[in-house]
Amino acid sequence: MRRRTWLLSAAGAAGALVVGWGVLPQRSRLGSGALMLRSEGEVPLNGWIKIAADGSVVLAMPRSEMGQGVHTALPMLAAEELDVPLSSVRLEQAGADAIYGNVSMLVASLPFHPLEDAEGDGSLSVKAGRWIVGKLARELGINATGGSSSIADLWDVIRLAAATARASLVGAASLQWKLPAEELVVKDGVIRHASGKSVGYGEVARAASGTPPGAVKVKDRKEWTLIGRSLLRLDLPEKVDGRARFGLDVRLPGMKFASVRLCPMLGGSVGAIRSEKGLSMPGAERLVMLPALGGSTAGFAVVGRTSWHAQRGASAIDVEWHQRPLGGLDSRQIEAELEAAVRTQSGHVFYERGDAAGEERSGKLVEAWYHAPYLAHATMEPMNCTARVAAGKVEVWAPTQVPEMARGIAARVAGVSTDDVIFHTTLLGGGFGRRLEVDVVAQAVRIAMDCGGAPVQLVWSREEDIRHDFYRPMQVARLRASIDSGGRVTSLRITSAGDAITPRWMERGLPMLSGPFDTPDKTTSEGLFDLPYGIATQRIEHVATRMGVPVGFWRSVGHSHNAFFSESFIDELASAAKIGPVEFRRELLKDAPRHLAVLNLAAEKSNWGGALPAGRQRGIALHESFGSIVAQVAEVSLVEGKPRVHRVVCAIDCGTAVNPGVIAQQMEGSVLFALTALLHGRIDIREGAVQQGNFHDYPIVRLAQAPSVETWIVASGRPPQGVGEPGVPPLAPAVANAIFALTGIRRRKLPLAA
Amino acid sequence: MELLINGKTVSADVESEMPLLWVLRDVLNMTGTKFGCGIAACGACTVTVDGLAVRSCVVPASSVVGKKIRTIEALGTPEKIHPLQAAWIAEQVPQCGYCQSGMLMAAAALLEKNPKPTDADIDAAMTNICRCGTYQRVRAAIKRAAGIKV
Repeated sequence: MRRRTWLLSAAGAAGALVVGWGVLPQRSRLGSGALMLRSEGEVPLNGWIKIAADGSVVLAMPRSEMGQGVHTALPMLAAEELDVPLSSVRLEQAGADAIYGNVSMLVASLPFHPLEDAEGDGSLSVKAGRWIVGKLARELGINATGGSSSIADLWDVIRLAAATARASLVGAASLQWKLPAEELVVKDGVIRHASGKSVGYGEVARAASGTPPGAVKVKDRKEWTLIGRSLLRLDLPEKVDGRARFGLDVRLPGMKFASVRLCPMLGGSVGAIRSEKGLSMPGAERLVMLPALGGSTAGFAVVGRTSWHAQRGASAIDVEWHQRPLGGLDSRQIEAELEAAVRTQSGHVFYERGDAAGEERSGKLVEAWYHAPYLAHATMEPMNCTARVAAGKVEVWAPTQVPEMARGIAARVAGVSTDDVIFHTTLLGGGFGRRLEVDVVAQAVRIAMDCGGAPVQLVWSREEDIRHDFYRPMQVARLRASIDSGGRVTSLRITSAGDAITPRWMERGLPMLSGPFDTPDKTTSEGLFDLPYGIATQRIEHVATRMGVPVGFWRSVGHSHNAFFSESFIDELASAAKIGPVEFRRELLKDAPRHLAVLNLAAEKSNWGGALPAGRQRGIALHESFGSIVAQVAEVSLVEGKPRVHRVVCAIDCGTAVNPGVIAQQMEGSVLFALTALLHGRIDIREGAVQQGNFHDYPIVRLAQAPSVETWIVASGRPPQGVGEPGVPPLAPAVANAIFALTGIRRRKLPLAA
Repeated sequence: MELLINGKTVSADVESEMPLLWVLRDVLNMTGTKFGCGIAACGACTVTVDGLAVRSCVVPASSVVGKKIRTIEALGTPEKIHPLQAAWIAEQVPQCGYCQSGMLMAAAALLEKNPKPTDADIDAAMTNICRCGTYQRVRAAIKRAAGIKV
């Protein structure tokens, strides 16, 4: 069994999965039909599947659509097992039950090295750790869309739920007709028998709800008709004509609008409101003071007739801000402190193999320091949330990746029980990890409490969004390796420093689960401690700091900067060994056949080593994250000294490719997201205040600068893994490695165009 | 004031300096046009005024009285889809989709003026920001709608 799938793949997800869940669950994640919304004419068959009168299928959907295509790929799994066309699956927001929680995401957060649970090599403690966390995750039922885990987590669950529903439907027809179930076939939701009898799902659904499914088997991959095809996304028709409803598009009768101004200094507060003259402006109605909520900085909101009236009123309030009690934060000073931490502190050792320090005494020593800045997410849809608080009940509409956490904080802020909070998840205009936070939900509920029962839509300005994000933490790393006379890497030592994200996030959103001290956070060292390269001695440690800047998960999290460090450094070692970057990696990957195959595919499809236009060079990088392995080759030139990326070739092994079209979209999107960060992305903090504020000083790559991106997918019989994030990490090192090939200069500090 | 939006005269009781974006979204409940930055930097709020692409977050409503305003809601309908919308689906352009109303209106303005744009024309006209990185598909879809072979 491979990592991450140990819990779920009792009988091998690629083959037949028999009901029973061999390994774990105390209670099945199929759930009962009572969990689904009761609607006229719809018959629930379990916690995931309802059959409508016309035979169409309703699928419970706990995961958020933020562009990554899960509202197409997950229904594909249901349609496949139910033998209905994809177009006849409708989605219904899942309720709040543990069966909808994300088990895979939590299990994947454990800091185990891949070698520790390789097949036949898994230590008992690793297995026990996974088992316990899997069990806890199942009981807690934390519903989250993140960690590129939606398909990996629900792959078995939805297919089994749909196959079970199908078995009951066929079973009901079999009983009605007194014909053996094995003789019945299903096509497009119609059950048929060779005798000419036929009945639609809608007509047998009622009987099926009382028919036991018997022994259920999900399809073997050779029986698939939908999985593996680039089916058109279901969410696009409404995204091209303005019908799609994002959080910002919620409209309710009598709705008010609110705009916030938070203390510009992170962690600061409102000293005094000097003048409320903003409230006397037409359309501005009310001032609501906001304490620090959900990890936000304190400030105030103005409620008005429209967002514009609220914004105008808020800007006209004259306020005296107070710096945080510990003094203003400064990102230059933080960088110096991180460098000192790397030099002087011993951190948590995430991986140690052999005596790396001892090995350094022989051979050629290579050492390099790498830096990554704070980054904001800058989702296109600014932070927003709509809330109504009336008669002890709360109703919330929000574009969120964590509906249950959001519901929890709404209840805490309003002082009601979570049962008194009705929560609606809208479409998300981008997430990238920013919408794993619940600060805006808490603020919207707080504001709504002062609005006499009227619904209020809180919309942040872009400036508040950039200045009050939960930033990707700044990181500094020192990498050291020794190379013998044959060009072999004999040791690798990495010490990195930066804030840990997970414990801070738990404090904000799940305070009841947050402990008195921090446990080691895998996200700090992922992409450093778990490298696929066969380096005999390694010591990989991280010093977790607490600088006071709010930090959060940013698409691909630790991998996003750690891959820049590790894959640039591997290139440095290749250069020091005087071996080509591809050849050098091949040698280090000779015991990692899947990684090697991905590397070779990228090299082949990019024509590695082939001729290029003058002034252009290639760089390559390989990185595994979220269960998938991605290699990218970037073709780069320099225009007025700044890197220009022309073409990126991606190769990916993500296990089974559920929808190759969506995977290609995600690779393209990841490349562009990473390109913006590596060229321009930086957040600077001076005297506590974030210096950037909008797209003029936090620039985003535009169409004219967009490279062409090609995606090649390795055929695989393994269970599907992540695709939303794994395309991000390799780009920065691939581009930096190309710049080295062009100029001989090694760029070790992001962003590169700064 | 009276505004001519999507072929209909609509009256809105708002201040003259109120940006068109907020009149559309918060007064008229036409939410297809999006708020992204408030400083005309991202293009999420793009509509056309007399056929030209404008960023409605910085256009006072009073300045477009009497002009023909067109929003995403009238680019096409599910029954009679605009060639750009069809191309957008054929090329599977949107991901999160938030910026796509503005992208489509900017593309519509481009093709109205220049039915066979070159790559350079597309680069110059399509300066909207997309965080999902759909740019090359936007380019391909514009060419498809324009009947340009690639």
